[in-house]
Amino acid sequence: MRRFIIERLALFIGALAGISVVIFAALRILPGDVATVMAGLNSPPDKVARIRAQMGLDRPLVLQYGDWMGGLLRGDFGKSLLTGRSVTSTVAMRASITFPLIVMGLVVALAVGLSLGVAATLATRPAARSCFHFFGIVGGSIPALWGGLLLILLFSRGTGLIGLFPSQGFPQRGWHDTGAALLSLVLPALTVGIIDGASLMRYTRSALADLLSSGYLDQAMACGYTRRQAVLRVGLRLAMPQLVSVVGLMFAGMVTGVMVIENLFALPGIGYGLVTDLGNRDLIAVQSELFMLAAFFLAMGFVVDVLHRLLDPRLKSSLEGGR
Amino acid sequence: MAIEVSGLSVDIGGRPIVSDVAMGVADGERVGLVGSSGSGKSMIAKALLGLLPRQASASGSARLGGTEVIGADETTLAGLRGRYVGVVFQNPGSSLNPVLSVGRQIELPLKLHYDLDAGDRHERVMAMMRKVGLDASLAGRYPHELSGGQQQRVGIATALITSPRLIIADEPTTALDSITQRQIVDLLVSLVDGAGASMLFITHDFSVLARATSRCYVLDRGRIVDSGQTAGLLASPQVAQSRRLVEAARKLTLGGPDMETL
Amino acid sequence: MAADNGGKKVAAPALAPLARKAAVVLRSIWARGEGRFALVVLALWLAVSLISLVWTPQSLWSTDGYHVWQGPTAAHWLGTDGTGSDVLSWLMAGARTNLLIAVLAVALAGVLGMALTAAMVSRSATVSGVSAVLVDALISIPTVLIALILAVPMGASVAVIVIACGIGYGLNLARIARPQALLAANSGYVDSALANGASWFSVLVRHIMPNTMPTMTVQLSLSAGTAVLAESGLTYLGVGVPSGVPSWGHSLATSVKFIDVYPLTVLWPGLIVTVVVVALNVFGDVLRDAVDPVANPALREVA
Repeated sequence: MRRFIIERLALFIGALAGISVVIFAALRILPGDVATVMAGLNSPPDKVARIRAQMGLDRPLVLQYGDWMGGLLRGDFGKSLLTGRSVTSTVAMRASITFPLIVMGLVVALAVGLSLGVAATLATRPAARSCFHFFGIVGGSIPALWGGLLLILLFSRGTGLIGLFPSQGFPQRGWHDTGAALLSLVLPALTVGIIDGASLMRYTRSALADLLSSGYLDQAMACGYTRRQAVLRVGLRLAMPQLVSVVGLMFAGMVTGVMVIENLFALPGIGYGLVTDLGNRDLIAVQSELFMLAAFFLAMGFVVDVLHRLLDPRLKSSLEGGR
Repeated sequence: MAIEVSGLSVDIGGRPIVSDVAMGVADGERVGLVGSSGSGKSMIAKALLGLLPRQASASGSARLGGTEVIGADETTLAGLRGRYVGVVFQNPGSSLNPVLSVGRQIELPLKLHYDLDAGDRHERVMAMMRKVGLDASLAGRYPHELSGGQQQRVGIATALITSPRLIIADEPTTALDSITQRQIVDLLVSLVDGAGASMLFITHDFSVLARATSRCYVLDRGRIVDSGQTAGLLASPQVAQSRRLVEAARKLTLGGPDMETL
Repeated sequence: MAADNGGKKVAAPALAPLARKAAVVLRSIWARGEGRFALVVLALWLAVSLISLVWTPQSLWSTDGYHVWQGPTAAHWLGTDGTGSDVLSWLMAGARTNLLIAVLAVALAGVLGMALTAAMVSRSATVSGVSAVLVDALISIPTVLIALILAVPMGASVAVIVIACGIGYGLNLARIARPQALLAANSGYVDSALANGASWFSVLVRHIMPNTMPTMTVQLSLSAGTAVLAESGLTYLGVGVPSGVPSWGHSLATSVKFIDVYPLTVLWPGLIVTVVVVALNVFGDVLRDAVDPVANPALREVA
């Protein structure tokens, strides 16, 4: 197990280094160069040169990369050239909206996906089974943007049929205004959560169906569990490693929805900020933000892989690591 | 505990798997149910235990110790399973819960049906492990760390921990090599007899049947085609299907065509 | 199940049975209500895409400053947008862009997925090890992030969507097809083919890849649905289809501004995307059963 973790950690660090090079390169193969773009059209050459020197763009690429990496390691993400504010503090502020949104969305997805997945497995009436089947397929096929719009049409204050939740923006005072902050995240989290919950439900149902036709649940029922108990106590536990992997991948997929939803609901999170910065060509900020996100998802992949191992004793004890 | 089955039919998606089966097992009796693979014998076991897949539907009557199990509700069935009826499955490697240690696996039926404290349960599990020939040190191991024979001993211990009145063994030896097969059958027989329980032993292998049962039914394409004393059937099978099964068993275990002259 | 059907027909060993198999699979899909729905929707998609090349109810570029943000009228069945253009015409023209994106993304994913799978079962420990590690590491990077990285130098374009989706889904494809490919690569018939002097490449093409085909086709069908969804998201974020090019994502993004004016118009683009994605997902599900020789007895008779 320890060896597996070390191997996987090495892979994580290697991938992180690789991604950083790719992001760095993507910014350097721009038509024109960053300084020209940042200086704006038709700006005098000396302005471009000043910006170039200010950004260190006149130095060799290897040194520029080294500067950037060195800064990242010290937690210094550089300064936005547009606002002059440190990218670190901007990103931290934006993350304080995005991560609660992702977590709330994930909670909704797990609640919807696991409970409906179990219910669909246990349902016996054909009508009920068709309903679950329909929800699983249609729910997962809705574009996040449209799902968000529908929820706004139904529940938002102002335009909605039943005005329950705010649909635009985040409170000025941020999390100091806790109640309002939470309320403003309800519709966005529901949008993301229900769509991903529908996919999770399909995975849960198919994993449980596989287990029901295996011997494990028969053995559990033979010991005295009812079918429902066997599915809930043994089935879900045995499906867990598989579902953890699915949720891990789903998490990565969720971020598209989160970015769209942040823009739709005008929540100043990482997705919203990234799109704004990209539009403003604030490339130093974009570079660090992209790297932060990539690092986050690689770390998630690492955690999911280790968790997957821990949950399955058959994998945990295999010392050779499987590959 | 006795089994009385009459007019039992099982359909899967409209296709008949078991048709109009009548059979019985008396108190304390060991009875075999033999048939080639696909004859529907496992479906009979599943019907008796309420473990039929959802697509399947059963009709007719099956009573375990007087309780009707066809169409019974889940609570009734779960109250029988693991308490009055113990089950040994064909392939312990793919039926023993892989995330449960051996000790916790054997303990499960006790935990579900009896109100004992942890110390009592532990004592009984240890005693049961000794009975089935498992070293006490294996209690903390997981099924995948055990050999096939050891796994099946865990399966038997799980089935017998609550001293059930009836054991249903569904091909308990098929996944094992022939020497281990014999050990497991002998263990099962001695434990069942020692407890005074009855047993329904399901197999496709006549040679195993002779060791395990006194009487048996022959199943072919979902119907009972023959029945009688196991020894008699084995010595002079009257029905074509029985003859085929007996010959297959001889070729497999008794070694060679010379025995066919018997 | 390793049926040996290469014995008699020496010439063109693969193609004729493959065509017959495809016919059987299509018929099995049509035989199910859900499958019929999927095939009809996909056929309509193709038909509308082709028609939109030569005809749309109104010209895409006929703007009308006096009739912006209109509800449905006789001239504009689904209303007009902020420049007075006809919503229905833009949706019809959008069909072909989305079809193009889905087809290209799936093709790229297929090629990348197969190449990675082939690399992962390679006899060279270095190649197989490195490719497996690569797939493991990159699989957790979201498609949208790849698109954003690409959009920095490339700007908003169809190519960004196609490449990002192609890479993302190709990695996923390789991860899913890997177990089957490994199983086939370690099987007895591969060993014996190699022992008889067959080259690794021919073994790969004849024995290993065909074993992963059912999984790959199903997964690619599901990926096509995800590509349609990704288009709408990325275009809204401003890194997908550039403005001025018709696409469903474009219509959907435009309709966001409709919401206060004529809320029901918001329904159409989203509904079309949902129905098409449902059709692709259902198609994938039904295809899974249709290409499985255990679940589909008709397929066994062909082989």
